[in-house]
Amino acid sequence: MFTRFEEYAAASMLGADDSPPRLDGKLFFSNRWERDVFGLALSLSKAGYFEWEDFRQCLITAIARWESAPCEGQPRWDYYERFLEALLDVVGSRGVLSRDELAHVMVARRPATATHTAARPLHSKNH
Amino acid sequence: MTQLFQYEDDREVSSAAKVRALEALLIEKGVIGSDAVDAVLQHFETVAGPFNGAKIVARAWVDPAFKQRLVEDTPKAIAELDLSAGMAGAEGEHMAAVANGDGVHNLIICTLCSCYPWPVLGLPPYWYKDPVFRARGVREPRAVLREFGVEVPAETAVKVWDSSAQIRWFVVPERPANTDRLSEQELAALVTPESMMGVALVASPAAA
Repeated sequence: MFTRFEEYAAASMLGADDSPPRLDGKLFFSNRWERDVFGLALSLSKAGYFEWEDFRQCLITAIARWESAPCEGQPRWDYYERFLEALLDVVGSRGVLSRDELAHVMVARRPATATHTAARPLHSKNH
Repeated sequence: MTQLFQYEDDREVSSAAKVRALEALLIEKGVIGSDAVDAVLQHFETVAGPFNGAKIVARAWVDPAFKQRLVEDTPKAIAELDLSAGMAGAEGEHMAAVANGDGVHNLIICTLCSCYPWPVLGLPPYWYKDPVFRARGVREPRAVLREFGVEVPAETAVKVWDSSAQIRWFVVPERPANTDRLSEQELAALVTPESMMGVALVASPAAA
């Protein structure tokens, strides 16, 4: 049976450790950046830059890293922070972005002001 | 990755900045288009989701003839409605509706995996894939429903529908009381994904 990539990607995570937050049958995003990072991962995999399962393994690893961290100093749980970490991992390991380019992303501290994305209207809630 | 858990004071701002920098870089390199994120998420936000099922149920409530056509030939009846294009095609062809009422309460499960009518219900809840739910849904559906807060009278039959890759079921719940004056749109707002799975009833507006 034919299944859309978007549905396959989301369904493959359900019931597992890397299952995304959802509410009333819809994906649940508390902030715009969470929606964007989810969409970026889907877009890149759909375009063939990496297998969705490869990303999932990075996500499972990122979650496990958080879980195994000492309680003292452990940051509060944030699913989409681990999601971003996993996306940066797979984007780097698959050569989508170079080491220097990833470093550029990692030092970003404030929203950019002169990029394509900055021109897009922001929504704090998307559900 | 070193300094893994060293966070700035404002983690949300920092994460947002990284994501925007990442997206901008990918767009500038031509890896993705500027509308890629919106395009891929549109599927979940406007094409396939529980909002479609709610519209279908509300129409069935206000139009008994439509309800009859819906249970007889679900894809054909759904095609009558002005829903998104994602409702048609392979996924939609495999959907089938069953209606509560007339002494019958319906419950949908998937004993094999997690087959689910995405176009009308959206993402399944976490427990839908749970082996215990799947097994108990078959063996003792009344007990499972009771745990969900649905007490099915003894004289009402409980039918359990097992979704598969070939056919994906959804439930048309009973219209709640005190809704005679509600518009179709207002009725749709009462319908929850759980009610279309059969694990909940639709609450009347006063109780909602």
